[in-house]
Amino acid sequence: MGMPYKMAVILDKARLERIKGTQLEGLVKDLYGGYLKVLELDVPDDVAQRILKEFPRARIDARGFIEETPVVFKRELFEVIAQLRSVGREVFEELLKPERLSRIKELAAKEEEYLPPPPLLEKEK
Amino acid sequence: MSLKVYMPPPHGGKLVDAVIRDKDKAVEMAAGAMAYDIKPTRSIVDGSPIRNVYREIMSIAYGFFSPLDRFMTRNEVESVLKERRLLDGWLFPFPIIFDIPEEDLRKLGVKEGDRLLLRLKGQPFAILDIEEVWKFDPKDLADRTFGTPEKNSDVVKRRFDEKHPGWLIYRSMTGTALAGKVYVINEPIFKDPYTRFWYPPAKSREEIQRRGWRTVIAHQTRNVPHTGHEHLMKNAAYLGDIEPAHGILVNAIIGAKRLGDFVDEAILEGHEALSKYGYISPKRHIVTMTLWDMRYGNPLESLLHGIIRQNMGCTHHMFGRDHAAVGDYYDPYATQILWDKGIPSFGLPAPPYDLDKGLKIRPVNIKEFWYCPKCGEIAYSDTCAHTDVAQRFSGSFIRGLIAEGIEPPPIIFRPEVYRVIVKWWRVYGYPFVNKKYLELKERELEVDAPKMEIPIKG
Repeated sequence: MGMPYKMAVILDKARLERIKGTQLEGLVKDLYGGYLKVLELDVPDDVAQRILKEFPRARIDARGFIEETPVVFKRELFEVIAQLRSVGREVFEELLKPERLSRIKELAAKEEEYLPPPPLLEKEK
Repeated sequence: MSLKVYMPPPHGGKLVDAVIRDKDKAVEMAAGAMAYDIKPTRSIVDGSPIRNVYREIMSIAYGFFSPLDRFMTRNEVESVLKERRLLDGWLFPFPIIFDIPEEDLRKLGVKEGDRLLLRLKGQPFAILDIEEVWKFDPKDLADRTFGTPEKNSDVVKRRFDEKHPGWLIYRSMTGTALAGKVYVINEPIFKDPYTRFWYPPAKSREEIQRRGWRTVIAHQTRNVPHTGHEHLMKNAAYLGDIEPAHGILVNAIIGAKRLGDFVDEAILEGHEALSKYGYISPKRHIVTMTLWDMRYGNPLESLLHGIIRQNMGCTHHMFGRDHAAVGDYYDPYATQILWDKGIPSFGLPAPPYDLDKGLKIRPVNIKEFWYCPKCGEIAYSDTCAHTDVAQRFSGSFIRGLIAEGIEPPPIIFRPEVYRVIVKWWRVYGYPFVNKKYLELKERELEVDAPKMEIPIKG
């Protein structure tokens, strides 16, 4: 058995709204005093190795979380979670299906060139 | 014996100053020398510029690497690889090599005893007095520089490969080297924002004295600071002598970095924002930089950091977990092992301060800070016992958050620091180092070379 890895999906207001009333709502974790809400997923070793292979910049951080995956990967991960209403292994099975994966990789390549900066910050307005 | 701690001497006893400030002398020194335009080291994997030797020339000539005043000969590199010492015995962790494509060397036709004029951005920049022309196997050099799990099992956990940015720098060198003394003959002009962070060792020592600081703790950075870094700085700085350290000297490593690290401008201004907005009093804080294409060599990098910051006049140096590391090649505490008991397999049987011709700077080994929901505060990992609920800081997690366009909460990231990231994100269309940034950085560099006329051959 390999080391158990994890992934976290950050939940902003819109994402929290999407999972409201589902079983996922009970799985939401508070981070840093409740300033951040996340859903955590266990990532089996074989899936973790696959993700690291498909996305060369992805890495496992000091906490054992897979991080630095493309933004589009995280976005799609949330979509699949919301669709399947699960944080189980099947989420990754769906996410890594060839067609979906190739679309993610295509968008991820563009993302390495440009990421839209956030809109004007509150204090700058 | 007094318990008070004072500024240590430079490593090797004297700061190197190989900058020729007298224009006439500079022209005279360079006249008649063959000219060569400095080229970047490009990755053998994808061709990206991952190093520009001009940064090493600057760091040698302005004394950051004192007592090193030259590019190393074969013998000196062997000495460094065997016991991390220069030929005169002073500790030094990395081979510093001026490599050149074989074809360029043939065209130049220079040999031992000749002088080479090095141009930067088309202008005269430095001269190199060629003492030796030598060859090496870049892969072998890369392996021996960083160590292997077989030979250095005390700290190396995994074989180095192309994914390690420092190993890749050595692996991508040409295999032909010119060794010898180097002098900057035409001082480059730093661009904004770099210029205000440029404190070479002599100037840094003056500035420390001007501020009346007796004890100064150095903080190494290649990051925009999150509050975990801030707590590390503030708490490590409690250690001084009879009172907390008077100053915190942040020294950012500026140069080509690995894809995904923050851009240099944001690193400098992000740290600057901490004192600009009062999170650390400006009376106690200074942000500086060193030009160096980071090797991410964890314990070895920490030895270089100790040398640089001792030369800059610091009395202490803080070292955290995963110091200057990337990936899991080294033990996460390899740096602290070095500064606690040494790493015999690297030829360092005792910590650097207990070795002859070692360092005088005092290490402050710190573990980590985390957020504890039970304590309701950011706590030190050896103090807070709520390990089951503690939430560790992760730079990767924060970078992911930022990439998704989510402003990190103030408890982990100061809003003013985040604004600095967004400022440079707008400039480059990307918040982190990507291939486009590396190319742009290589083209622009941190400096401009002033115009200078020199009668040359080539």
